[in-house]
Amino acid sequence: MALEVSLMTFAQGPLLWALVVVALIAVGAVLRARKTNIGLRRQNAELHQQRDMLQRQRDELHVAHTGLTHQHSAELAEVRRDAEEETKAVLKAAVRTLQGLADEQQVVIENAQKKYGDDPGMLADLMAIDHANSQFGRRAQGIAVLCGGWLGRRETVASVFDVARSAQGRIRQFDRVRVNGQVNFSVVSKAVEPVAVVLAELLANATNYSAPGAPVEINIQAVPTGVCLIVDDAGLGMGQEEKDRAAALLAPQAAISVSSLGIPPQFGFAVSGVLAARYGFKVSVDSVSPYGGVRAVVLLPDELLTGDVPSPPPVAAGHYDAEVAALPRRQAPAPSPTPLFPPVGQPAVAPQPTGPIATTAGGLPKRRRKSPVSVVPSAEPGPVRSNEETASRLGAFQRGTRSGRDMTTTEGPEFQ
Amino acid sequence: MTAPGEEQAVSSGFVRSYVITGGRGLPDAQDLSLVTLVTIAPDRQPPPNPSPEVRAIWELCSGGYLSVAEVAGHLGQPVGVARLLLNDLAEQGHLMRRKAPPAAQLVDRKILEEVLHGLHVRFG
Repeated sequence: MALEVSLMTFAQGPLLWALVVVALIAVGAVLRARKTNIGLRRQNAELHQQRDMLQRQRDELHVAHTGLTHQHSAELAEVRRDAEEETKAVLKAAVRTLQGLADEQQVVIENAQKKYGDDPGMLADLMAIDHANSQFGRRAQGIAVLCGGWLGRRETVASVFDVARSAQGRIRQFDRVRVNGQVNFSVVSKAVEPVAVVLAELLANATNYSAPGAPVEINIQAVPTGVCLIVDDAGLGMGQEEKDRAAALLAPQAAISVSSLGIPPQFGFAVSGVLAARYGFKVSVDSVSPYGGVRAVVLLPDELLTGDVPSPPPVAAGHYDAEVAALPRRQAPAPSPTPLFPPVGQPAVAPQPTGPIATTAGGLPKRRRKSPVSVVPSAEPGPVRSNEETASRLGAFQRGTRSGRDMTTTEGPEFQ
Repeated sequence: MTAPGEEQAVSSGFVRSYVITGGRGLPDAQDLSLVTLVTIAPDRQPPPNPSPEVRAIWELCSGGYLSVAEVAGHLGQPVGVARLLLNDLAEQGHLMRRKAPPAAQLVDRKILEEVLHGLHVRFG
């Protein structure tokens, strides 16, 4: 009863109402929260959707960007290639002129050397000019090769020994180079200049990167697959990095960019690599010379070699010193003695014997010890004589001139 | 790339003269004048491993006397270069030299005419 009363009291009390109000508010809050929650979820889902879409867009943009970057770099490379090619074309054309001029100048110097060769001082000066011009020519040839141009063609084969000597003449310190060994092979005409230029570049490296005054050797050796030209220097050798760079340049995979050669440009290996690839010979610099420096080897395959003997140097052809030209030349096997009184108005030159011309191994005409008289100046048509009479008179004259030129005579200021 | 057909011919000499002399000083012109006659001494063997030029001189001069100018002409080299190589051979004792007959001085034309006349009488 007491409990009932208290419950009644409680129900009627303010506390109860307060509780009811709180409960109602709580329910309302829960409902609102639920509503908010639903709203947030929806919003979240939308945001997720948006995010996925944006991610897709981002990926698409990324792909587009990569594509553009590739395109850009491809176009850049193309532009670079074009620029390089254009530069090379311009350089090639310019250098071609220089090459021609160097060659022309070389011929002029040669003629001057022959013309003034009797004067040692003058000849020495001309040789110095010749030397400078040869180096100039080699430089021009190097640039031409790197620009895809050509060296210039030789018309004749040249012995391997002469190719080595020609290369020797194209570097500054040529007097430090010794050429050893001769083989009975010649280099075919199309490869003469390329091999000489490559060898010159190797010699230039060898002399530049070894102590001044230290000798540099070229050894020529026949090997089963061809002929080797071995350049040994007494320098410090090359480090692995330099060797790798050299190997890459000597076996070029692609066209060499002129701008990658540095300043001052290092032509040697690049030129050698281009020429070796173009003409089909091998160049390597990866071994050590017996003197501790670099050993560079040029291997000429059989295709670039021939057993032909180089033709003798073109004698005369307008290159002659006036003085020398005035002297009788001895091209024919039967040389005529110097006429003391050269026939002026009527050159009465006896017909040269038409027999086979004896030549030396070097292709030069062989001189015979006893030469028949071939110049008989006659002032006027002489009286008719019998053949025998003529023969005996000519014979007497011949004996006289012969005894005059006989080398065994002990008369005259002869010394050994 | 240039076509091979475009390649220009090179006309200059191949082995330079200063390489043939080895960059050495050139001998005096007085020693072996243009008209000095030279020949290889009899019974001589060529030096070992002669250069092509020395070999050519050996072949040229083995047959008899030849003037220095002619040797140079046949070699296709300046006289000074031939002179140096001949000088080398002379120093090695391979070469015999004979001075050119001295140029006649103050030739008496009358004597020459007399000689000519004499020859005409004798042979003509």
